[in-house]
Amino acid sequence: MSAADVATPVRAGRAGRPAPVPPRRPAGRWRAVAGWAAVLALTALTLAPGIGVEVDLGALARNWQNGADKIVALLQPDWSFFPRTVEPLLETLQMAVVATAVAGVVSLPLSLWAARTTNPHRLLRGAVRGVLNVVRAVPDLLYASVLVAMVGVGALPGILALVLFDVGIVVKLVSEQLEAADTGALEAARAAGGTQLQVNRSVAVPDMMPGFWNQLLYVLELNVRASSVLGLVGAGGMGLLIDAVRSFYRYDQLSLIILEILVVVLVLEAVSSAARRRLV
Amino acid sequence: MSVGLRAAQGTATSSEVAVPAPWPVRMRDVVVRYPNGVTALDGVSLDLEPGEMVAVVGLSGSGKSSMIRTLNGLVPVTSGTVEVGGHDVTAARGRALRALRGEVGMIFQSFNLAGRATVLQNVLVGRVAHAPTWRTLLGAHTAQDRAVAYEALDRVGMLDRAWHRASHLSGGQQQRVAIARALAQQPRAVLADEPVASLDPPTAHGVMSDLRRVNRELGITVVVNLHLLDLAREYGTRLIGLRAGQVVYDGPAADASDRVFEDIYGRSIRPDDVLGS
Repeated sequence: MSAADVATPVRAGRAGRPAPVPPRRPAGRWRAVAGWAAVLALTALTLAPGIGVEVDLGALARNWQNGADKIVALLQPDWSFFPRTVEPLLETLQMAVVATAVAGVVSLPLSLWAARTTNPHRLLRGAVRGVLNVVRAVPDLLYASVLVAMVGVGALPGILALVLFDVGIVVKLVSEQLEAADTGALEAARAAGGTQLQVNRSVAVPDMMPGFWNQLLYVLELNVRASSVLGLVGAGGMGLLIDAVRSFYRYDQLSLIILEILVVVLVLEAVSSAARRRLV
Repeated sequence: MSVGLRAAQGTATSSEVAVPAPWPVRMRDVVVRYPNGVTALDGVSLDLEPGEMVAVVGLSGSGKSSMIRTLNGLVPVTSGTVEVGGHDVTAARGRALRALRGEVGMIFQSFNLAGRATVLQNVLVGRVAHAPTWRTLLGAHTAQDRAVAYEALDRVGMLDRAWHRASHLSGGQQQRVAIARALAQQPRAVLADEPVASLDPPTAHGVMSDLRRVNRELGITVVVNLHLLDLAREYGTRLIGLRAGQVVYDGPAADASDRVFEDIYGRSIRPDDVLGS
């Protein structure tokens, strides 16, 4: 085929009818401009002396000697400290696992309650969502410190804090997943004469389970991270030990603890992503 | 009506489950108006006899889907009455409505199976109205419910897939499972809303034949929404044409001419109004 053959229809098209005119671009380009302006204004505001956050970069330069000492200590983990870390580490893992299991049992029915598609009762749904919004708004460390005052020092307040934290996350994510899912099977079960409870159990639950397990694995990972610091406020696990070594400025021991947490988190991530692949 | 007829694969033992008497349908001046102001049904009055296979034909937006959903209360009527098997659907609420729905099977265009559940679990959904809630919650189905589910699956030739995940089946197979789910209800009427619109022509004929066997062998009243005129002619014993929410044709399906369909559609027949084979 020659070049002329290819070119001809194009030229004919140009000659035959007017050049194509796209529809007018929709309005709203100012949004992008306004967005960037807002980001710039916020940045300027937070940096402004007097009203912004007081960041003194000079401190870095003045105290670099201090920081360098810590880093040197952190680079030399005290391996002999290992035996004393085993028990707190296991406690941390136990707290994370127990909290995840309890949170799973609690969040399964709550997720169905919080989703529009599986709970047509508006008031009930609103109540569940409202309570969970409050639950989610409180950080886990705050739960732990209040619960330590309520039930005493140890793993129990830590587990309770993690459960509250997890339920907030899992119910939100799973109920959103339920609302995004196709409602055809729900309609079919309703058409077969099922009560809402029967419809949810026989159709919604099987379809939601992979996503539900997925979120539980995710909060298990979060729990291991979180439970290693909850001890800072007395809620058991690694954190108690972290608090102790830190107050004696034993950064070599702290560095071993950090390494251990790192290893646990990496292993857990590998395991859970392998498990997740099987879920799909 | 003969009961112990062979299923597709010829493996079915004769059923001990008595087939309940099919239900008639009676609609009087039914109007359905949606909150957005659209009038889907505009004064429909119909009497469907027990054991009929009724093809409801109309363009999309003609009110077919709304009409079939008024028969089991999925769409509430604005005015008028719907009686199915002598029970007033429009007045039924709560337990009474669920009991009524339990007697009426429904089949959907998009199959509406729980994709992650097994075929058997999906068919057992057809037993919910006949089972106490605690049994459904625990998944503790009675041996009899399971037997009914197996028989329903066998009847559509899907028994060997009982433990497969529903989403792993082809479209035609999924629709067969959906028919089995409806049959597991031991229904007195079956409603099918565009059951073959998502299927290719040979599969569509297979599914329509299954529906016809449900009607002929079990004697169950079948109401099926279609938009293809050859399917309506071939499988329906009676044809009802809907246009803009009104019944514009009601007569035997087999001898409905192209003119009849042109009247129903309000335009001339096009090639895509026919499925072919």
